[in-house]
Amino acid sequence: MPAHEDKRVGLADAAALVPAGSTLALGGLSLNCSPMAFCRELVRAGVRDLELVAVVNGMGTDWLVGGGCVRRLLMGLTSFEGFGLAPNFRRAAQTKAIEVEEWSEHTLICALQAATAGVPYMPTRAGLGTDMLALHPHRTWEVVDERSGQRFVACGALQPDVAVVHVHEADRRGNARMHPKLVWFDTELVKAAKTVIVTAERIVETDSFRAAPEATAFPSFAVDHVVEAPRGAWPTACWPEYGYDGDFYRAYQQAARDRDAFAAFFAEHVGPLATGAPA
Amino acid sequence: MSDYELDELVVAALAREFPDDTVAFNGAVSFVPVCALMLARATHSPNLVWVAGSIAVDPQPTEIPESTLVSTLWDGATMLQSSVADFWAYAQSGRLNSFCFRGAQMDAHGNVNNTVIGAYDEPKIRLPGGGGMADLGCLVPRIYLWSTTHDTRTFVERLDFRSGLGWGDGGDHRERLGLSGGPVACVTNLAVLDFHPESRRMRLRSVHPGVSVEDVVAATGFELVIEGDVPETPAPSAEEVQLIRTLDPTGARRREFAAAR
Repeated sequence: MPAHEDKRVGLADAAALVPAGSTLALGGLSLNCSPMAFCRELVRAGVRDLELVAVVNGMGTDWLVGGGCVRRLLMGLTSFEGFGLAPNFRRAAQTKAIEVEEWSEHTLICALQAATAGVPYMPTRAGLGTDMLALHPHRTWEVVDERSGQRFVACGALQPDVAVVHVHEADRRGNARMHPKLVWFDTELVKAAKTVIVTAERIVETDSFRAAPEATAFPSFAVDHVVEAPRGAWPTACWPEYGYDGDFYRAYQQAARDRDAFAAFFAEHVGPLATGAPA
Repeated sequence: MSDYELDELVVAALAREFPDDTVAFNGAVSFVPVCALMLARATHSPNLVWVAGSIAVDPQPTEIPESTLVSTLWDGATMLQSSVADFWAYAQSGRLNSFCFRGAQMDAHGNVNNTVIGAYDEPKIRLPGGGGMADLGCLVPRIYLWSTTHDTRTFVERLDFRSGLGWGDGGDHRERLGLSGGPVACVTNLAVLDFHPESRRMRLRSVHPGVSVEDVVAATGFELVIEGDVPETPAPSAEEVQLIRTLDPTGARRREFAAAR
């Protein structure tokens, strides 16, 4: 029997799958399980002009914005929560170094689901009556249903070029899983994107998926590339294997108070800080 | 003078707003609501179901961490919802019926801004964003507002940006949009407010001990509905205070008050 395709690639080769100008969607949720090793690699590779889709994110967005990788950000929330506001994001938004296209959690999910379904838009009641719709009328607009007269928001299909999610385990064929199976918004990203990259704490044999098929989060045919990235979610959490690194969040915020100190801190932990980005 | 702190008064006052049939979930940076939901469940609303951060159903955490969306809050849950999309399905169908909002700005109709201070394209301050506010303000029939910074910068006549829908432009605006329910109450560091049933403008329901009606009026950037004598917000009972300190032993609720300007 011919060998199965081996989808494993190194981090640098995986980062090269995200060329300048791509629409990139980041997995995870707030302080949980973002593909941080991948974000760091993009900063070090000096990728530019990304359209970043980050539904509820913080540090991943802040690294990519600080690295000068982002031209436009589509987001619901960008925050470090109890650790404060994301400093590169805030500064870049206030100086207009990036274009911030604010959506909301559910409208972004609907837009991804529309892309998945191959339909021009997904209807929802979410977002009615808010100022969010007018920010991107080419992508979200209000519609009155002809039959019922009901008003709804049309969320135009949004297909990321690349989605990157982090998991506990994957095999070389692309099967991927979390223990327990917590997949945040990652399922919607994986289903919608043209190219899917999974970074995994470790690579395991396919037989271990066969032994517990109910635990699999993403099937091999939905995943294009697999990257082994131990502690690849740090400093966000990869629960229950490790929690978010509160000391790092605090140190990051402390460093962000001083421009020079922050550039050095960022260079040490992430990569080169782009001009104009430090807090 | 008293055996409780302001943060405990606010938590207790918010907790009293949650009836027994509440199925609530919390968003990011929601230390006061998380504490209040746990208190309500431990006192007058034993059947209240709290879904921590849209993930963990009915958890029994032993403390509240730096984020209200992380695993410390999930201990003892009856279910971990694997996908956030599952949670959104229940929010859309109405099974999940309650959510708490806080914003950098709020207006008289309980609409909320957590997006920008200043113009959107020229922000003076870029805030974290609305997150799920724009969604949940529409989908969830019972919205509870809270604020630890009741002043004229927060309670404004006109929002710089409407991130989350409350009663919209007031009156029957939500009905015209085809949306049910709306904001129920707003609990602040000064007072408890609700909404006039017709105009849907914020109405002063009680003032906290030591706070006068004039204080609240002066701290509010829009005209409040005030009907007759305004009573005093009941102080938390000794049992409530004890429970709050047990449910939130590290005082995470005070994070929101520390940030008060």
